[in-house]
Amino acid sequence: MASMLEVKNLSKNFGDLSVLKDISFSVNKGDVIAVIGPSGSGKSTLLRCINQLEKASGGEVVVCGKTMFSTDESGKVVYAPAADLREIRLKIGLVFQNFNLFPHFSVLRNITEAPVRVLKKSREEAEKTARELLEKMGLESKENAYPCELSGGQQQRVSIARAMALSPEILFFDEPTSALDPELTGEILKVIRQLAAEGMTMVIVTHEMEFARDVADRVIFMEHGVIVEEGAPQQLFGSDASERTKQFLQRFNSGKEAQD
Amino acid sequence: MANISIKKMLAGTLAAMFMLTASACGNSDSSTASTAANNDTTSAAESTASADDTSSAADESAAATDDSLQKVLDSGKFVLGLDASFKPMGYTDENDEIVGFDIDCAEEVCKRLGVTLEKKGINWDTKEDTLDAGTIDCIWNGMSIDEKREERMNLSEPYMENSMVFVVPGDSTAEKMSDLADKTVAVQNGSTAQTLLEESAIGGSCKISPLATNVEALQQMDLGLVDAVYLDSVVAEYEIAEAGKDWRIFTDGSESEKYAIGFRKGDQALRDKVQETLSEMKADGTLAKISEKWFGKDVTIVK
Amino acid sequence: MTGNEIWGVVKILLKYLLPTLKIFGFTLLYSVPLGMIVALLKMCRFKPIKWLTSLYILIMRGTPLMLQVIVAYFAVPMLKRSTAMPGVLHRLLDAVNIQADSYLFNTVLVAFVLNYAAYFAEIFRGGIESIPKGQYEAAAALGFSKRQTFFRIILPQVIKRVVPASSNEVITLVKDTSLANVVAYAEITMKARQQMQNYSSLTPLFIAGAFYFVLATVLTVIFSFIEKKLDYYK
Repeated sequence: MASMLEVKNLSKNFGDLSVLKDISFSVNKGDVIAVIGPSGSGKSTLLRCINQLEKASGGEVVVCGKTMFSTDESGKVVYAPAADLREIRLKIGLVFQNFNLFPHFSVLRNITEAPVRVLKKSREEAEKTARELLEKMGLESKENAYPCELSGGQQQRVSIARAMALSPEILFFDEPTSALDPELTGEILKVIRQLAAEGMTMVIVTHEMEFARDVADRVIFMEHGVIVEEGAPQQLFGSDASERTKQFLQRFNSGKEAQD
Repeated sequence: MANISIKKMLAGTLAAMFMLTASACGNSDSSTASTAANNDTTSAAESTASADDTSSAADESAAATDDSLQKVLDSGKFVLGLDASFKPMGYTDENDEIVGFDIDCAEEVCKRLGVTLEKKGINWDTKEDTLDAGTIDCIWNGMSIDEKREERMNLSEPYMENSMVFVVPGDSTAEKMSDLADKTVAVQNGSTAQTLLEESAIGGSCKISPLATNVEALQQMDLGLVDAVYLDSVVAEYEIAEAGKDWRIFTDGSESEKYAIGFRKGDQALRDKVQETLSEMKADGTLAKISEKWFGKDVTIVK
Repeated sequence: MTGNEIWGVVKILLKYLLPTLKIFGFTLLYSVPLGMIVALLKMCRFKPIKWLTSLYILIMRGTPLMLQVIVAYFAVPMLKRSTAMPGVLHRLLDAVNIQADSYLFNTVLVAFVLNYAAYFAEIFRGGIESIPKGQYEAAAALGFSKRQTFFRIILPQVIKRVVPASSNEVITLVKDTSLANVVAYAEITMKARQQMQNYSSLTPLFIAGAFYFVLATVLTVIFSFIEKKLDYYK
């Protein structure tokens, strides 16, 4: 299977604080990977480093065979030329926790703006694609609405459509349901399931354990900036899991019950 | 006082601006200072020689570099600065034209010099700086002679007498200056009336309210906001007649003054030529005619 | 004052509406873009530029506009007379004709533009900084260039946010044009003062007040229209 993403020994420091330590994993075409772990474990930072929203402090990342950055002998991180970085960036779509839709654009314009301005597609073509995506998201009637007129779940579906409009090779989700009311998370998870069924390559940072178990091909458990365990859902959520994973899941479940 | 501080502020602010633009910041301070020093030396030289029997040596040295008259003749225009709101000396009439006794005199002088008169509005508070800046050739607007003005300008001989008088409402009990000792007296800000009042016997005790114009001062008095106004008798008489109120002038504490034209310190040739022309006008009766038009009699004291 | 006299004053003031509006219009024309540039300079990561910009804003907001107008007006003639300046600068200054009417207008304009740019800069900076980081990140993740991000994503949102504060400044500017009369720039207030002396009456000043009131009202209506237009999203 073709490798879509190779992460080797990735590290990230904020000053003296080490947020990511020696992270390595790979994603193959069609993989759905769930990243779980407690808050502050570095999950979001991992996504942001791969998405060029943060500069890495060390290691190497290769996207679709193109090296985004690597580390030379002296330990200096060397990024690819700007043109390559731009190309690599467009291979990865990112869906944010807080949607980050552009409030001054209509739903349709939110989705078409990047294809038109960045990929230089014609407006007609971009709108045709956007309408198809909106239909897939069940939002075909909302194309002229503004983000402020939509529910959180609808906004997040628009933001997924916006990321999909650039036809990325991989789709990253950074806690896509965390900002939503519990009754709205279902509609997002449904969309992600649908994308998984279509063979979309995805990396999902999530707190939805059941969803991770159901949808993911592989689960990565992170804590304190390191990958504690990686494997099939049956392994991590089963009795063979490491002690720390078990502890986390136990705490997580009891916390959830306490909340309910 | 106000004028000197404006100059200082300017020098300071200019220096600050230069430092901001980071260009020639060292120079600006010293240059303004050196110009000021130059002015002081010239002013000292001229004030010692201000009397009529000027020593010829000083005259010659001034004339050697003084092209002030030639400049005016060459450009064909004489720029007169005034705040255009001193009735009837120089003011703006209902047609937005600048007219007045001073203007008529200046027009006649220009006619005789073969140049055109250009009337330029200035801010009275910064008149000396505007004169120094070179945007005008003289200040001719019923300007009273006082020490500070003599220091900063090259004044003509006095051309008209004036006195500062108190105006009070008709029902006021004040009859003499001492009656106003604990009262509020309005003056035009920056006027000689202000200086004279501050230095008068009641200067320490009365409350002086400096307002932008004499008209505002009189309006405030009419509304009861101030008890009296101290101003030029020329203006006072004119305004009382104009307003038709029962305001009253009393002459106790009046100070006699003279009006003169102000030129730049170095502009001796221009000043002398204008002075000479005025004397001609006095001699042939033109000045008297103009005076009669505005005051009903010849009030000029030009020799 | 009689009705005819009042009408006469109104006619004079109407004639000087243009000089007032000239200061107003040109100040806006130059100070808004300059304010945007200053705002960006103040957010510059290169510290000396940031400090210089802050100092400029501090001086412009920390000293009266009236004084700035006076400084702008007297700066050239004072420097012209100074002897300690390099000859090049002297030749440059000699090219400035301080007798010309345009000199007066230009100096007033320079002071107004520099002053208002400082105020607009702070409003714009506030507007730019109030845009959530997520907007930049979303734009970056979608591959927009820095330029595209600023002009297509950030700026339109900033404009909506700064309109209310800017409308305050613009209405203040109309009234501030009267400060130009400290260097005897002939505009409505100066002419009203002269007519006040001419008629020995305060009425011309009230008429001038009515002129400003009408102008401010027109601007208020325009701005509420703009705000309504921008109200299509929250």
